[in-house]
Amino acid sequence: MTVYPQDRVLLDDLGPRTSGRPPARLALDIRDLSVVYRTPAGDVRAVDGVSLALGVGEVVGLAGESGSGKSTLAYGACRLLRAPALITNGSVRYQGRRVQEPVEILQLRRDQLRRLRWREIAIVFQSAMNALNPMLNVRDQLLDVIQAHLKLSKDEAADKVGSLLDLVGIPRTRLRSYPHQLSGGMRQRVMIAMALATDPEVVIMDEPTTALDVVVQRDILAQIIELKERLGFSILFITHDLSLLLELADRIAVMYAGQLVEVGTADEIHHEAAHPYTKGLLNSFPSLRGPRRELAGIPGSPPDLHSPPPGCRFLPRCSYSTTACSRIDMSLRPVSSSLNSEHVTACPFVLPDAAVPGGPVTARADVAPARAPAGSMAGRPAVGETANNGVHRAERAALKGEPTHEEPGL
Amino acid sequence: MSPTDPLEQSNSGGVVSVAAERGPLALEAVSLSRNFRLSRHQTLQAVREVSFNLYRGAIIALVGESGSGKTTVAKLLAGQEQPTSGSILLDGEPVDLSSRRAFRRYKSKVQLVFQDPFASLNPAHTVHYHLERPVVLHRDKSNGKVEEEIDALMTQVRLTPARQFLEKYPHELSGGQRQRVSFARALAARPSVLLADEPVSMLDVSIRLEMLALLDDLCRRFHLALLYITHDIASARYVADELLVMYAGQIIERGPAEELTQHPAHPYTQLLVASAPDPDNLGSTLRSGASRSGRPPEAASMAENGCPFSPRCEFAEDRCRRESPPMRQVTPARSAACWRLEVAAPQVFAGRQGG
Repeated sequence: MTVYPQDRVLLDDLGPRTSGRPPARLALDIRDLSVVYRTPAGDVRAVDGVSLALGVGEVVGLAGESGSGKSTLAYGACRLLRAPALITNGSVRYQGRRVQEPVEILQLRRDQLRRLRWREIAIVFQSAMNALNPMLNVRDQLLDVIQAHLKLSKDEAADKVGSLLDLVGIPRTRLRSYPHQLSGGMRQRVMIAMALATDPEVVIMDEPTTALDVVVQRDILAQIIELKERLGFSILFITHDLSLLLELADRIAVMYAGQLVEVGTADEIHHEAAHPYTKGLLNSFPSLRGPRRELAGIPGSPPDLHSPPPGCRFLPRCSYSTTACSRIDMSLRPVSSSLNSEHVTACPFVLPDAAVPGGPVTARADVAPARAPAGSMAGRPAVGETANNGVHRAERAALKGEPTHEEPGL
Repeated sequence: MSPTDPLEQSNSGGVVSVAAERGPLALEAVSLSRNFRLSRHQTLQAVREVSFNLYRGAIIALVGESGSGKTTVAKLLAGQEQPTSGSILLDGEPVDLSSRRAFRRYKSKVQLVFQDPFASLNPAHTVHYHLERPVVLHRDKSNGKVEEEIDALMTQVRLTPARQFLEKYPHELSGGQRQRVSFARALAARPSVLLADEPVSMLDVSIRLEMLALLDDLCRRFHLALLYITHDIASARYVADELLVMYAGQIIERGPAEELTQHPAHPYTQLLVASAPDPDNLGSTLRSGASRSGRPPEAASMAENGCPFSPRCEFAEDRCRRESPPMRQVTPARSAACWRLEVAAPQVFAGRQGG
């Protein structure tokens, strides 16, 4: 079936791999994946029929609130979830340089899976403090990974540890340091070095910089991108920080309540966001630059996934909602009629030409009048100055002034 | 103004806080320092000579990276840590925490909200229990009934219907709801000063704004003096009147929130602002993977003498490594602790000359 040559690839041997390849080649192809958590009260449908592809050398961002199923999707695709999680449907195909024929991850045997994980698909976990073994120093952490997944002699393995530290910019004097002796940024670098130790083709990054402050975050992200360019792996980047993805990712998938609601290039998401939820997310971040915008956030909270509401799951929090919204199916449809655009959204009411940026959606005559949502945040007017109103009035109208307490009874 | 140094020098930079226009002075931190003894030979100066004022009705943001000493400042102000030197004044009176009674009286005026609403509420008790205790402890004996007061608190933080939430346990609430309970608990003592240590950083992005709006609302409605401690300078821009930037235990820049974030003067503040994600930046350094922002922070070993930022600062010269820069006035409402302001922030400097 699948060939796994036990090659000894050192990172130094590899040139850039992205060049000369058809960009359409996929490293990871997730189709119609569904994951449920079995509970006594019934199934929680954490991931519900999600399809997402990751091209070779591509950075795909996966954005959404906590509980939207981002991590479940990524871990489910690698079959890293334990009971009570259960994959009920779908297919996940992986193809790489060492794995010429596409393999179906969901059908691999345990031993095949072991060879695939980390060797082909590596993960940088969210909390570096918890993911590193506190009893092992940096050198032993890295050796552990190398010995488990590569067949290298002792000397080669030691060389490799050194070159990995160089790769992520940790001085070799830190080899004998334990995790608690490292700063948060350094720990995260060790995690990245561990992920790259086996020269994987796909790296899943689960909020790798969330716990870090902005200066360190930027430093590490720049390094990740630099390494990606050099080594040519693909990245699935999971975060709740959409503003970060806009700068970092090639394509962005927005997830809500277990489903994808919008997928597009970073540019399309930034300037032509179609789904009201995406717009809400974009409007949830105070920006540091430019004029002070009227910010609204997204009042309310996500639905209970034991029994998601029929139709659009964003309906109770959406100000554009009509009675038709409870009957729509959540399949993704193209936003523009242009053929070369892959911008798709699950909201049928912004299609195809209704998505005039900033304008009201024509299909919805019953849009709430523009008024400041109860939870809106215009920023404090400076003393002796009035609030800066009206910059994004149309955007603001997209987010209805729901009562600001969360849904009772959850 | 002396001809050699056009910028005036004084401990606080001699600036007038914009927050002073919001209301009367509530809490003053005067040259607060806190040292932690690490070993016999090593002392960590977590907070060094920090001075600022909190005014009723105003939000002051204390911004800094992890390890900069922001939380220690909050603990000092809340009376949970004793300052190594310096003093705290509440309504003009020196704070006395010597007896239990004095401590309780101080706590009824100055309340602290913690970062993690999952850890700061007792999982074994209901919301009602969390609110009843402070209400009973700090109650004005002549006034009203406990239950009515609890209901009022719940309405103020918009946890309605109150009855429905009061019997719940923390695990039955969402993160945002728990933080609302924390706010209500802090308000139960009827404080004049609220210290909020990263109140939204553990919450989901979509509800952060809602919580900041609530804080803003509570600040206005109760005429609270609010200290908003955060590492997120962008959110500070939106909620705060005045911004204090902390680095290595010192306040290195202060000024009106909007002015400071748009035209940062201190090289560290400049780095902080430049590091924030910026989707509008087309020539982003990130996607091209080109330049790295600054040097690894590990290089920022705390300098014994001189400017703490000098090891990372591109403008640093000999003087920066020798002498610690005082706060120097930049504009009537702004000051920064930097010897090289003229070079590091020429526009801000020029603006001052013009104004």
